[in-house]
Amino acid sequence: MLNDDKSPFQRTFVNQVKRCAEMSRKLRFLKDQINKAGLLSSALPTLQSDVDLEALESQLADHEHELIEMNANSEKLQQTYNELLEFKMVLQKAGSFLISGKSYESAEGRELDENVYPSDYPESDSTSLLEQATQSEPSNSSGLRFISGIIPKSKVLFFERMLFRATRGNLLFNQAPADELIMDHVSSEMVEKTIFVVFFSGEQAKTKILKICEAFGANCYPVPEDLTKQTQITQEVSLRLSELETTLDVGIRHRNAALHSIGVHLSIWMNMVKREKAVFDTLNMLNFDVTKKCLVGEGWCPIFAKPQIQEALQRATFDSNSQIGIIFHVMDSVESPPTYFRTNTFTNAYQEIVDAYGVAKYQEANPAVYTVITFPFLFAVMFGDWGHGICLLLGALILIAREGKLSSQKLGSFMEMLFGGRYVLLLMSLFSIYCGLIYNEFFSVPYHIFGDSAYRCRDASCSDAHTVGLIKYRDAYPFGVDPSWRGSRSELPFLNSLKMKMSILFGVAQMNLGIMLSYFNSLFFNNSLDIRYQFIPQMIFLNSLFGYLSLLIIIKWCTGSQADLYHVMIYMFLSPFDDLAENELFWGQRPLQIVLLLSALVAVPWMLFPKPFILRKLHAERFQGRRYGVLRSSEMDIDSEPGSARHHEEEFNFSEVFVHQMIHSIEFVLGSVSNTASYLRLWALSLAHSELSTVFYEKVLLLAWGYENILIRMVGLAVFAFATAFILLMMETLSAFLHALRLHWVEFQNKFYGGDGYKFKPFSFAALADDED
Amino acid sequence: MGFVLTTLIFAAIGIIASLCARICCNKGPSANLFHLTLVITATICCWLMWAIVYLAQMNPLIVPILSEGE
Repeated sequence: MLNDDKSPFQRTFVNQVKRCAEMSRKLRFLKDQINKAGLLSSALPTLQSDVDLEALESQLADHEHELIEMNANSEKLQQTYNELLEFKMVLQKAGSFLISGKSYESAEGRELDENVYPSDYPESDSTSLLEQATQSEPSNSSGLRFISGIIPKSKVLFFERMLFRATRGNLLFNQAPADELIMDHVSSEMVEKTIFVVFFSGEQAKTKILKICEAFGANCYPVPEDLTKQTQITQEVSLRLSELETTLDVGIRHRNAALHSIGVHLSIWMNMVKREKAVFDTLNMLNFDVTKKCLVGEGWCPIFAKPQIQEALQRATFDSNSQIGIIFHVMDSVESPPTYFRTNTFTNAYQEIVDAYGVAKYQEANPAVYTVITFPFLFAVMFGDWGHGICLLLGALILIAREGKLSSQKLGSFMEMLFGGRYVLLLMSLFSIYCGLIYNEFFSVPYHIFGDSAYRCRDASCSDAHTVGLIKYRDAYPFGVDPSWRGSRSELPFLNSLKMKMSILFGVAQMNLGIMLSYFNSLFFNNSLDIRYQFIPQMIFLNSLFGYLSLLIIIKWCTGSQADLYHVMIYMFLSPFDDLAENELFWGQRPLQIVLLLSALVAVPWMLFPKPFILRKLHAERFQGRRYGVLRSSEMDIDSEPGSARHHEEEFNFSEVFVHQMIHSIEFVLGSVSNTASYLRLWALSLAHSELSTVFYEKVLLLAWGYENILIRMVGLAVFAFATAFILLMMETLSAFLHALRLHWVEFQNKFYGGDGYKFKPFSFAALADDED
Repeated sequence: MGFVLTTLIFAAIGIIASLCARICCNKGPSANLFHLTLVITATICCWLMWAIVYLAQMNPLIVPILSEGE
């Protein structure tokens, strides 16, 4: 960005960007209108005719204007239509009130009974009031006047009560529901309305009633008392209504035709405008030199792409008929370049997993190379069941087989993650099948795939199989865990011991790999300081403690010794000079332990102290030469770019460096214990998976299968299937995925990964289209 | 089959797999190295898993004690 110091509004192409933004707003408005009218936007196959941007702009302005006008007109018409409709209904219903109302006046003195009143007479309130009204009424009918109108049904009750209160009960309120729903223009939805007629007397009452009507949003329409006049007006209103209907219809069809013609081009236009805006945004990042009439830009490009870029620039010069060629000049940079890993669809998912933690520094070792295999492998160690593995494999294969179709669809966020990780899922399932075969678990059932078990009863009657146990009469089972272990009482002690030791061994192996990668990093960056004062003491420390533990585990397994490894490790620290007695695994163990302990103790200050002091010395040496000045490297023809990144030399802050080194060392030392223990989660999760699997198999499926009833069997099978699918396949998969990820991000990567780089983000028209939607 | 024999089998499978990868997808030195890394890593991981489980069962300290109802 050469124009960092200018605000967004000072940049050269800001007007064009504004125009593009305005055009895209209009396009969005048009799109909304099309959607509201319920038309499907049919996209024509993309015509590559380049519509001129200015012509497009004026076209869009015209369309928008036209559409706004049409909408306003149709709204007005609609409102008039609604009012007329209401008027018609009021005429119909109110007319019947008035007719019967006439008969009341002539029926004074008659016994007033409820049955006399018309059927749509609602409440007892009005009954008593009618009595009052007719009793207190003078016999002349001119005092009794009325107002008729229509009001939403929800407000009728309150309206009535207000009217009673206002007129102190001196009124007669008739109401009838409307026959059909009417569009309420305030809330623009169809509501039920009620037609009412209010009989009252007196001028003051009239004004009060009118005000209340207005407050409640009731529309009042004058209804003539005379019957013939009523029918006449009703006819007129009906006529006008049908006229309006046709007018409205024509208007809507006209608008839809206009929208349709726009809709055809809409997506092309939107695309064009997006591209133009992106181009102008990018142009804004360049520096426009008005005097020399040229644009200057700085950017990054991969080295392998240089010839392609030069070729593209030549083509651009030719195509745009410019007088002067484009100059492409490689310059030195002080700031760190972005990181660019070329990935294909398979490796992309893994690179994203690694990048989620942090993008690699420029030219640092990429952990994704190993993660491709170790991540699914560690997942499988925690998930190991070849039945479940086959289910996962089927899922992954389905996703991969329908790759083409699914990648063009718009998926929900969960499906999208699942689809993006389909190759990860594939490898995870393959390794799960392998680990399942090793753990010998098929939905927790062991099989004798690789031959007979190595265990059998001590004698023919198997009498002490339940007390003392079987006996091992052959070599170990050739591949995996012996099937005799499943279901036995000593299964858990054996498997726990096996899995815990396995976790430690995997942990030490992966951590050593991490430290080796840090060695290769230092080698690449020619950082011999790091090699001598960080890599070597780290290797010594980790391996003299936990590498030694791994060695002890292997020796114990090979010799079958009864030594207690906890005891050995703890007393190596507490009393290293004591005799080992029955815990001796090999000759020379005690002196070896003393040597290892001493080297671990030496390694700690080795990684802590020398490096800061040497760094300070180096820094002092470097700045001795500074006093003679530094020759600036020659720059390009357009000179003195203030925004161009130039790095300022910093002061050497010794205390900061020392504290940093101390933190790093303490983190490593304490971390070596905690990280090794952290790998025990491999044991924990695999135990959990195996136990859940066993429970579902034994307590659900076998239990249900024990009954003869087919219904119970079906139900049991269904419950087993659901539990397997949701708990084991989904929840356990996510759980194992998460823990394997954590092991990679923390325990593996903190041995060597910097992860403070930034990604290479080239400008791309294709990425634009994906971006906005 | 013994420990050493099976280890040799794993090594042989690994070598065959790398050769296959080189023959099928020969896409330039960097990609080739990457494929080789993947195959070797996978072979080592699988072998390690098998070897650990095998070694643990070579000289076990406890034996299966059947539970009631077997």
